[in-house]
Amino acid sequence: MPEFKAPLRDIKFVMNEVLDSEKHYQSIGASDASPDMVDAIIGEGAKFCEEVLAPLNQIGDQEGCTLTEDGVTTPKGFKEAYQQYVEGGWPSMNAPVEHGGQGLPESLNIILSELIGTANWSWGMYPGLSHGARATLEEHGTPEQQETYLTKLVSGEWTGTMCLTEPQCGSDLGILTTKAEPNADGSYNITGTKIFISAGEHDMVDNIVHIVLARLPGAPEGTKGISLFIVPKHLPDANGNAGERNAVTCGSIEHKMGIHGNATCVMNFDGAKGWLIGPENKGLNCMFTFMNVARIGTSIQGLAAAEGSFQGALAYAKERLAMRSLSGPKNPDGKADPIIVHPDVRRMLLTQKAIAEGSRAMIYFAAQQADLVQHGEGDVQKEADDLLGFLTPILKAFCTEAGYEAANHGVQVFGGHGFIQEWGMEQIVRDTRIALLYEGTTGIQALDLLGRKILMSQGASLRNFTKIVHKFCQEHEGNDDMKAFIEPLAKLNKEWGDITMKIGMTAMQNRDEVGAASVDFLMYSGYICLAYFWARMVDTANAKLAEGTSEQDFYKAKIQTAKFYFDRILPRTAAHAQMIAAGGDSIMAMDEEHFAF
Amino acid sequence: MAEYKAPLKDIRFVMNEVFEAEKLWGSLAGTKETVDMETADAILEEAGKITASLIAPLSREGDEEGCHFDDGKVTVPTGYRDAYKTFAEGGWSGLTGNPDYEGMGMPKMLGAQYEEMLYSADVSFGLYVCLTSGAALAIDAHATEELKQKYLPKMYSGEWTGAMDLTEPHAGTDLGMIRTKAEPNSDGSFSITGTKIFITGGENDLTDNIIHLVLAKLPDAPEGSRGISLFLVPRNHVDDNGVVGENNNVTCGSIEHKMGIKASGTCVMNFDGAQGWLVGEVNKGLAAMFTMMNYERLSVGIQGFAAAERSYQNAVEYALDRIQGRSPSGAVLKDKAADPIIVHPDVRRMLLTMKAFTEGSRAFSTYVARFLDISKFSDDAEQKQHAEAMVALMTPIAKAYMTDRALDSCIAGQQIFGGHGYIREWGQEQLVRDTRITQIYEGTNGVQAMDLLGRKIVSNGGKLFELFASEVSNFIDEESDNEAMAPYLGPLAASVERLSDATEFVLNASKDDASEVGAAAAEYLDMFGLTTYGYMWARMVKAAAPKAESDDFYAGKLNTARFFFSRLLPRTVSLLESIKSGSQDLMAMADAQF
Repeated sequence: MPEFKAPLRDIKFVMNEVLDSEKHYQSIGASDASPDMVDAIIGEGAKFCEEVLAPLNQIGDQEGCTLTEDGVTTPKGFKEAYQQYVEGGWPSMNAPVEHGGQGLPESLNIILSELIGTANWSWGMYPGLSHGARATLEEHGTPEQQETYLTKLVSGEWTGTMCLTEPQCGSDLGILTTKAEPNADGSYNITGTKIFISAGEHDMVDNIVHIVLARLPGAPEGTKGISLFIVPKHLPDANGNAGERNAVTCGSIEHKMGIHGNATCVMNFDGAKGWLIGPENKGLNCMFTFMNVARIGTSIQGLAAAEGSFQGALAYAKERLAMRSLSGPKNPDGKADPIIVHPDVRRMLLTQKAIAEGSRAMIYFAAQQADLVQHGEGDVQKEADDLLGFLTPILKAFCTEAGYEAANHGVQVFGGHGFIQEWGMEQIVRDTRIALLYEGTTGIQALDLLGRKILMSQGASLRNFTKIVHKFCQEHEGNDDMKAFIEPLAKLNKEWGDITMKIGMTAMQNRDEVGAASVDFLMYSGYICLAYFWARMVDTANAKLAEGTSEQDFYKAKIQTAKFYFDRILPRTAAHAQMIAAGGDSIMAMDEEHFAF
Repeated sequence: MAEYKAPLKDIRFVMNEVFEAEKLWGSLAGTKETVDMETADAILEEAGKITASLIAPLSREGDEEGCHFDDGKVTVPTGYRDAYKTFAEGGWSGLTGNPDYEGMGMPKMLGAQYEEMLYSADVSFGLYVCLTSGAALAIDAHATEELKQKYLPKMYSGEWTGAMDLTEPHAGTDLGMIRTKAEPNSDGSFSITGTKIFITGGENDLTDNIIHLVLAKLPDAPEGSRGISLFLVPRNHVDDNGVVGENNNVTCGSIEHKMGIKASGTCVMNFDGAQGWLVGEVNKGLAAMFTMMNYERLSVGIQGFAAAERSYQNAVEYALDRIQGRSPSGAVLKDKAADPIIVHPDVRRMLLTMKAFTEGSRAFSTYVARFLDISKFSDDAEQKQHAEAMVALMTPIAKAYMTDRALDSCIAGQQIFGGHGYIREWGQEQLVRDTRITQIYEGTNGVQAMDLLGRKIVSNGGKLFELFASEVSNFIDEESDNEAMAPYLGPLAASVERLSDATEFVLNASKDDASEVGAAAAEYLDMFGLTTYGYMWARMVKAAAPKAESDDFYAGKLNTARFFFSRLLPRTVSLLESIKSGSQDLMAMADAQF
């Protein structure tokens, strides 16, 4: 199992040096988030993740969860780790003070999520899944609902879930059938079956608060007839503690490819008592308010996979001896050279590194936008909201696709050992695979980006971002140190707009063109975004080197990795551009019955 | 999981219509008397039946149950033993075996199709059988008459299985470092001592003997890969009458817990002075292995796309069945709550990607098998030499490109299932896990890429590339008047041109940069693979076009070809750009800077 070490140096580089978080926190009035405080929090979080969570990661995979009459038992040590997490006050970090939280910015929580996720993704999902329930209650709950449920979720005494998917509907929530019948006391009886409910049932806390999507009698068909309900596992008693058992049970847990330490539950609601939250039939709209942040949360899984597998592969590549370097022995006293001398191994390591560090910059940037959405005002808030809306599908789909690629490189660097469970590399691949599916598959994100975000805004949301890139390129025009990065970036930034325009034109004639281009377009966009953030990192590294620094290697490595990214990975945009230009004819022409004979 | 259906229609299309097997077999000295179309066709039919009905139902349970290790014994999953017995009785292990020792003597072009079906049905099960055939191949090529007489008939009949013992804990890719020792005995045999790891099928309870082919070093052997010899080491002694006796100090120490192929026991094998016999010449063990390696590497490639075929079959069924969302161009199933997901362009994109690569792989593996057959069965020296050169060139591509695209396809097949793709009972995630190993064993795909670009291309100044390029340009010339081919020949020629550009770049840059080959290898192999598939698709178009109007199968071929050329082949553009950035970006970084 690769030993997890929190990448604190790089986190600080991105936060403080590239994204100037001190200024950012001042601008949103987060006076508690002083540099010292932030440092201390991240340092403590890193310690908890390295010492408590990481050692449980493999145990969680091997042991998995079990379902008995008493409910779901989580792997050995998970519950105790959760206790420590609650005692450390971690769940309340980013919650509003009025609900018992510490009021620290979301962006800080994102960093913590990265650390937790890299150390042990399955474990992190238990507290992580509370996010949706908490956000729903914060935004749409009545003061009473907030008092009853939110404070307990914030303290971590209870956890939450989001119950969306049903056997017949995943991507298409419009066809869900769970029913909510009104009772005389203002509550509702919820009846239906939900599947794929992460952390739907477990033994870490004494109550679980489900936010359930269901239909009221007579509700309109499709997505416009969905409402949200709070359905606790135990009904709160007079003192607000977990009381009588509600008619919500876990029917089974799934046997999955990965994230074995996290229980994926079939939840049966048999006339369970629930309460409406938010307006009737506006359930999906209510959810969209926090979807962006939830999806950033999933994009972190890609970053975590890239980081974790890179750490493992790098250590192995320096240690494992096989063959000689083609340019002459590098370890003449040994029987062979460490495999890091081989160009192809370096190619894989650099790909992982470029993805991990690039994704980190992208995600942290988006997290700052989330802060601005939450705490900013007026134009600042609106701009951030637009930008976040644009970046979210890219982050979710691109970072997880790229992270999955990185995780597979990690297995490959290990050769045959990569396929063996004890080394931990294949677990990262299995655990990460889900990230391309849940919270909206890659295909769904791609449609969201190209269809809903870009074409529906007539390209405005793309222009918001390309303007930022354009401005950056202009600022560095004539700077020789930046030329190798700025030139290709500026060229692609322009091409991006042109390609989008063309898709928009063809899509007016034929609606299928959007879907035919969407995933290639998303990946194309992702590579350009990553290029922008790598260029920014180069700019920062150049400045540090010019100032004079004792960390020459660190900054030079940044520039070197950026060069690798621009030369070897960014050219993938050319193929995507051609595939987009080829259009959807060859995709749509085939008769359904001709796919297989 | 959909029921597996052997893709016999496509197999016959590739064998008979694209590559004209009958004509070839009729022309080769070694096949014209032994192989006829009727037999070949009956074999395909039977292979399709037995793999679908007997083997395919085992794979899901086999994955759940896995192999068990207890006190040196490995137990295979329930159902495997009975199925193996029935299967072996069909003589499948000896399908391509030497008839002089009771093999059936069928060509690889046919064997490749059967292997595909076997692996599609269940990769883990297939490994027991195919490794036996592989070991038999090496014995047939290099062992003494006595050893052949003694072991081959029982391996062909499946009474005994075989295993290849190469890797050691510290030596995988770099076999030059192995430590297993072979001490000569006075009777001409050797005592073999050492530990081997990752031995697929090294121990199992399917048969009462297992024949290991072991790489080891003689006491005075030179260092490195020039001092390795190959030995036949039966797990149990076999007396002169072929009766299986006591254990030969060959024991299984443990089995690995793996990501996939869980029903195939991956063993640590301990040899404690086990009695073995030299196969081939002293210190030429690696060379002896190479004969077999070409076949094995093709076989691993087939294993990859076979899994992708299974995943594709499942995905098509699911995409037709699962209703979700509406078609962007208007509802298709108006009386249902939603449309089947096959209406969605992106789902179709994934399906077509799978189809284009899987059918491309089937054509490609048949193409390579064809050259293996020519090199084995031809008595025309020039033809043989040409075929050998093509085998040498195509083998690393067959192994690496087919498995790389197979993993992509299995991942796409999983993606089409949405969340269900992640759940074990649906079978799609198992295919991903089972396929992941194919990029690693029999030489990682990085090693294959080095073999292609270093050994096969650069070391002879690009001659083998020219061999391929001229075959393709001849084809393009011949078809230049064929109207049906017009949309494809241009992109194909452009792709060969780009590959030529990349070849030239590497040939030049590698003159004074030792890292260049390694820096370009992976992308170069990708480019070569894509271009070869372009050629395969063009040949399929040629065969399909005349019948496309009257038969939907052929119309589907043309559609898939269009998709391949417009939506997959453009990847070569990016790959060329990456290659041309040279080695500097990879090598400049100091180890500490990572």
